[in-house]
Amino acid sequence: MTRIALKGLWARRRRLVGSFAAVFLGVAFLAGALVLGDTMNASIGRFFGQAYAGTDASVRGATNVSDAPTGERGTIDAGVVDRVRRVPGVATAEPVISGSGQLLGRDGRAIAVLGPRTAGNWLTDPRLNPYHVVQGRAPRADDEVVVNRATAIKGRLRVGDLTAVLTPQRVPVRVVGIARFGDEDGFGGTSFTAFTLAGARRYVARTPDRVSGVSVRAASGVSQGELVRRLRGVLPAGTEAVTGRALSREGMNAVTKGFLTMFRAFLLAFAGIALLVGTLGIHNTFAITVAQRSRESALLRAVGASRRQVLASVITEALVLGLTASVAGVFGGLGFAALLEEVFTAMGAALPVGGLVVTTVTVAVAVAAGVVVTLLSCLLPAVRASRTPPVAALRETEAERPGVSRGRAVGGGALTAAGVALLAGSVAAGDSMAAAGAGAVACVAGMVVLGPVAARPAGALLGVPLRGVTGALARRSTAREPRRVAGAATALMVGIGVVTLLTVLAASARTSVRDTVARSFGGDLVITTGSSIGGGFDPRLAGDVARLPQVRAAAGLGTGGARIDGRAVRVAYADPAALARMLDLGSAASLAPGRLAVSRTVARAHGWRTGTPLTVLFADGARRTLTVGGTYEPGGPAGDYLMPRADWLAHDPQPQDTTVLIALRPGVGTTEGERAVTTAARPYAAPDVRTRADYVEAQASGVNSLLTLVYVMLALAIVIALLGIANTLSLSVHERARELGLLRAVGATRGQIRSMIRGESLIVAVFGTAGGLGIGLLPGWALARAATGGTFAVPAGRLVVIAVIGALAGVLAALRPARRAGRMDILRAVAE
Amino acid sequence: MTGERSAAARAVGATKVYGSGAAEVRAIDDVTIAFDAGRFTAIMGPSGAGKSTLMHCVAGLDTLSSGQVFVGDVELGSLSDRQLTVLRRERIGFVFQSFNLLPALDAEENITLPLTLAGTRPDRAWIDAVVTTVGLGDRLSHRPAELSGGQRQRVAVARALASRPQIIFADEPTGNLDSRTGAEILTFLREAVDELGQTIVMVTHDPVAAAYADAAVFLADGRVRDRVEGPTARTVLDRMSAFEAETMGRSR
Repeated sequence: MTRIALKGLWARRRRLVGSFAAVFLGVAFLAGALVLGDTMNASIGRFFGQAYAGTDASVRGATNVSDAPTGERGTIDAGVVDRVRRVPGVATAEPVISGSGQLLGRDGRAIAVLGPRTAGNWLTDPRLNPYHVVQGRAPRADDEVVVNRATAIKGRLRVGDLTAVLTPQRVPVRVVGIARFGDEDGFGGTSFTAFTLAGARRYVARTPDRVSGVSVRAASGVSQGELVRRLRGVLPAGTEAVTGRALSREGMNAVTKGFLTMFRAFLLAFAGIALLVGTLGIHNTFAITVAQRSRESALLRAVGASRRQVLASVITEALVLGLTASVAGVFGGLGFAALLEEVFTAMGAALPVGGLVVTTVTVAVAVAAGVVVTLLSCLLPAVRASRTPPVAALRETEAERPGVSRGRAVGGGALTAAGVALLAGSVAAGDSMAAAGAGAVACVAGMVVLGPVAARPAGALLGVPLRGVTGALARRSTAREPRRVAGAATALMVGIGVVTLLTVLAASARTSVRDTVARSFGGDLVITTGSSIGGGFDPRLAGDVARLPQVRAAAGLGTGGARIDGRAVRVAYADPAALARMLDLGSAASLAPGRLAVSRTVARAHGWRTGTPLTVLFADGARRTLTVGGTYEPGGPAGDYLMPRADWLAHDPQPQDTTVLIALRPGVGTTEGERAVTTAARPYAAPDVRTRADYVEAQASGVNSLLTLVYVMLALAIVIALLGIANTLSLSVHERARELGLLRAVGATRGQIRSMIRGESLIVAVFGTAGGLGIGLLPGWALARAATGGTFAVPAGRLVVIAVIGALAGVLAALRPARRAGRMDILRAVAE
Repeated sequence: MTGERSAAARAVGATKVYGSGAAEVRAIDDVTIAFDAGRFTAIMGPSGAGKSTLMHCVAGLDTLSSGQVFVGDVELGSLSDRQLTVLRRERIGFVFQSFNLLPALDAEENITLPLTLAGTRPDRAWIDAVVTTVGLGDRLSHRPAELSGGQRQRVAVARALASRPQIIFADEPTGNLDSRTGAEILTFLREAVDELGQTIVMVTHDPVAAAYADAAVFLADGRVRDRVEGPTARTVLDRMSAFEAETMGRSR
């Protein structure tokens, strides 16, 4: 029986190409995602291993104001270095100073690397220093620096060049050396500018008696654990010692638990969608091929095959298909991982990647997923095949065309109705996320079930614009096969649905952000850090700008980490009075020193009121009690926590502003003001100066870059859906060979036949697209409102583009089947 | 040459070769034949005699290896695929043995299909006349699946007549029917010739069916062997037995 199944499979191999491709693509995506994740994990591990390879222990401030161990820590007393050096078993101990430092390139502009821009001291012990000079030499004077190679290349700097580092004050420096980090040109996307210890003390730490930490190398025979134990004995309160191994583990976890986990989840979610869309397509293909073979199955039954054997033959077929496609998919996944790597690098995300890492788990998971998906999609058709009565072999009937059951209509209708009710309920009940989520799931499930019920009337309706006799024939053919139409359309529906949903969510989020920012911000211009991560500029810039004759008021705003009531949060600091001239700060406008303002969202969430005392733990270890002095509208540039600048400066040795809000004098045009401010900002490495409208747009467009990535991923799902439609059409053309031949015999031209098939495809695609827009928009309405607190925006332009792409998918899918149908040999068709 | 001028279709030295070398088969071999306008001609012969091939070639469904085919005064060999399609649509009607109808269309739509494909309006009076002739008045809105085999074949005949073609080709039109329904279809074809002046060429191996025709042409081994005017079942059967005896004698 297996042999018969395999023979059947081989005979039908052309018809299975589409299914093979669907499984292949889904598995390739899944395997690619897994391989890329593992590869990045491995290279990140190697990176941190390298970074701390020679470090046996590290001494640092014990206070951590973020939830990650690698997060911001305050400085420690420089006297600790001498104490550490006296500990027996310490071979070398070097103070480490690190802080932010924006290097300027040859053109005098900030070198925009993708990671943080850091500055610090060059460690003299090569075993403690993860960097090594590859060109030039180590710094000797205070204004000499070594720069990591990637940054130097990006800024077109060479050994001997004069430039400047903003720490954030402008420090003129000479590049004396280019360094590499292990085998790489840098630590990820981080830029690193190394001064001598004295230089770093002078420009980065800005005090001789504080350091960021101490790197320690043990004498031979002293283990890392033992070293740390001994160090603990001499350390003052507020400092801690950790082993080099722990340090590298912390670093790795920070990346893998944060970014990498998200990245993986993101890729896997799309692999899931790709596989789901693939499953729907394969299911349809199997349903059709099995129906076409019902006479063959019946013949097998008539000559003595048991039901189980017929079932087994179909399942064997699916198993072989699933297995070969999945194995091929794993190999495809390797290529896909390499391609993704390229895509992400091209899109600007610097991923530390080495050779691809392929684990047994990856292969097992990908192959298992492919096989299971294929088996699941063929299960129903297989059971149906096994139920074919033997007598069917003798009947002169065509492949049976089961109608659409009442149960489906009732069940699907009820599900959809319940979903819509939940969605409406969610909006009515003040935008509840739980109800919106449940409603969305019910709605989607309901609409998928309803598909075949809706296909007949929808096909007739959608076909109306199709002209002439071929249009009418296309309409008829689709009406005849509601289940196939719905089956082929469902895959596209899911793909388009997800795209639509995300588009609506993104547009709503944008609108929500834009509205909030526009409402609260009353200024005319804004200076921002642009692309810099965690960077900023000299706080004196705000003062310079405020003194311009064109400017009525300017207020700088900086941010930093702190723990408030035990929670790690981002705090904005500014002069509240100046800020309030441009930003609607509500009751926080007259914030007195020693007080803290919080957004209404946070206040409501924690039950805080004006006068509530809060404990604030700063990065330097200081703990202060500040009372809530006012509340303001959330979502603006001030974030959720706002503190008077003076209160913050006491605890931050290297304050930087990230934003300057500017109001122009009456009568000063935006262009004129922008020119003046840009000139004033030039000595500060020309941070971005934006008009109010640009700024509002930029705040809102953060969502967009993510959306682009999402679109790229989802394009794959659409391609798989397209394959499904093409496959269904091909099978249908094959099945209708005689019909098409007859049409040709009685006078249909090849063009008419092609146009008919295209019409069918278009109806299916438009049906799927319309359904997709439905399952995207309806749940999107409730989900977007729940996520943004009541905002729902429909990006009409984008939705039109999506609809057009959906319809085009239909035309594309029809290309090959239509050509084949047009070429159909009349004689073979009618004289069979 | 008045005879040739009144031919609805004719073949001159028509030859169709399948395969090549040792596997070469001459399905029809140098056949010259004219099908007179307004007459009902039956093409007879044993299986493999080349009946269907001849019909397919004359009807423009298949192409010749050598020789010429004319429908009216149009030589088919010079036509493009598109021109052939239009010719079939406008000047030729078909009735096949089985699978004559599109399952998605109802009876009336199937009947007017060639006209719809050509984008011309059906002549209502003519269609009504045809429908009445084949006796389908109350079945027009039915789908093929809802019709009996005989009714389906009547729809097929009506479709062939609908565009008032120059010639109708029927390939074993009664092959799938019982003798009573078969007789009905043949009567309709006869009436189409007698009352509507239609030209019909019918391929069959059934002597009873051939008896409805005005003339029977006998094919064997791809060649025209004989022609009988006003055939009866008896005369046709005698001829066929004679041929078979001759063929077997030769092959012995």
